[in-house]
Amino acid sequence: MAHADRRIRVMQPLEIMTPERRHPVRNVLREALLVAAAGIVLAFGANLVSPRGLVLTRNYFPAGINRPVPATTGVGSPRDVANTNPPALSPAQLLAVRLKEQGLQSVDGRQAAQLFHDPRFKQGTIAFIDARDEQHYREGHIPGACEFDPYYPEKYFATVLPVCQAAEQIVVYCNGGDCDDSESAAILLRDVGIATRKLFIYTGGIPEWTTNGLPVEIGGRNSGNLRSTNK
Amino acid sequence: MNASQSSWSRTAADTFAVLARWLLGAVFLYMGMNKALHPVEFLKLVRQYDLVQSSLLLNSIAGALPWFEIFCGLLLLAGMAVRGTAVMLIVMLVPFTVLVFRRALAIQSALAIPFCAVKFDCGCGTGEVFICRKLLENFLFILFSVWLLAGYGRRLCVRHSLLSGDAQNQPD
Repeated sequence: MAHADRRIRVMQPLEIMTPERRHPVRNVLREALLVAAAGIVLAFGANLVSPRGLVLTRNYFPAGINRPVPATTGVGSPRDVANTNPPALSPAQLLAVRLKEQGLQSVDGRQAAQLFHDPRFKQGTIAFIDARDEQHYREGHIPGACEFDPYYPEKYFATVLPVCQAAEQIVVYCNGGDCDDSESAAILLRDVGIATRKLFIYTGGIPEWTTNGLPVEIGGRNSGNLRSTNK
Repeated sequence: MNASQSSWSRTAADTFAVLARWLLGAVFLYMGMNKALHPVEFLKLVRQYDLVQSSLLLNSIAGALPWFEIFCGLLLLAGMAVRGTAVMLIVMLVPFTVLVFRRALAIQSALAIPFCAVKFDCGCGTGEVFICRKLLENFLFILFSVWLLAGYGRRLCVRHSLLSGDAQNQPD
C-alpha cells in the first residue's frame, strides 16, 4: 500500500500538469500575441466598415502633422504648450508664418464683418466657408456660410465648389485659437483648383464673431433662423 | 488563520477580482466607444502628442486603437483570454500614462500652476480631466491588470485561458 502511494506521488506532477502550468509565462505571452493579432485585424476591419472610419491613406492635416500652433487661452490643449518652437514668436506671429508658408492670407474680425456686410456677399462674389463639423455648424454659423468639414471633404465638394468658383473672395473660418481646420479646408480647396489669391483665413473664427456681437444662423444654410449674439 | 477564514478570504478576493475585471472591461468598452464614435476628434488629440510624422501611422493609431480597446473590453467582460488581454492592457496603459505625465509636466512648467491643477483632454475618451485623477485612475487600472495577469478573476469566465482550455483553474 505504501509502495503504491509513493508511486502515485511520483507520477502525479508529470501527469496532471497542464501545458499552462508547465510554461505559464510562455503561454500568457502566446495568448497576448493571439489577442493582439486578432484585435488588430478586427480593429482595422471595424475602422474600414465604420461609416465614421478614418481613411488611413489620407493626409488629414495638409498644413502639416507636427507644426507649431498658436496657444489658446487657459489650460486646454497640451499641444498649446508643448509646441513653443521657435520660442521667440508669439502665437499670432506663428500663425502668420504658417499661413504665409501656404500662400494663404488672413482677415481679422473687423475685415470679416466688413466682408459680411458687403453687398457682394449677397451677390455671391464673397463666400464664407465654415470648416467645423456638422454639429457645430448647425449650432450656429455665420449666416449664409457653407458647411465644409475638411475631414469629410467628399461629402461637401458638390455644394461648396460651385459657391467657391463663383466667388472672388472666400473667407474660411473654424474655432479660432489653435484650430487649424480652416487652413486644412483652404488647402483642400486650393488643391481642387480654387485660386489661392481668393482664399482668406478668418483667424478669430466663430468665437471672435460671436464675441463681436454679430449674428449667427442656426440649422442649415440660409435657414433664416438667426440668433443675435449682442454683447 | 483557520480553514473557513482562508476560504472566506479567497472567495472575497476572487469576487473582487471578477468585479475588477468587469470594471476594466466596461471602462475600456466605454472609452473605446467614445473614441470610435468620434474618430476625427481622437485623431486631433493623438496628433497633439507629436508621436509620429507619418499620416498613415497617425491615422492607423487613431482609426484602430479605439476598436482595439473595445475588443479588449469585450474580452474582459466575457472572461475570454483574460491574462493575455491583461498583458495588452498593461502594454497600452503604461506608455500612455508616461506620455500623459510628460505632457502634464510640460503644461505645468509652461503655465506655472500646481501639478494637480493641470487639466486637459488626454485622448482617453472621457474629455478633459485633472491630471492627478487621471494618473490615479491609470495606476488602479494597471494594478487591476497585473492582478488579472496573476490569475485572479477566473469565476464567471467563458474561457479564461485560450491555450489551456481550463476555465476553472484556481489562481497560480
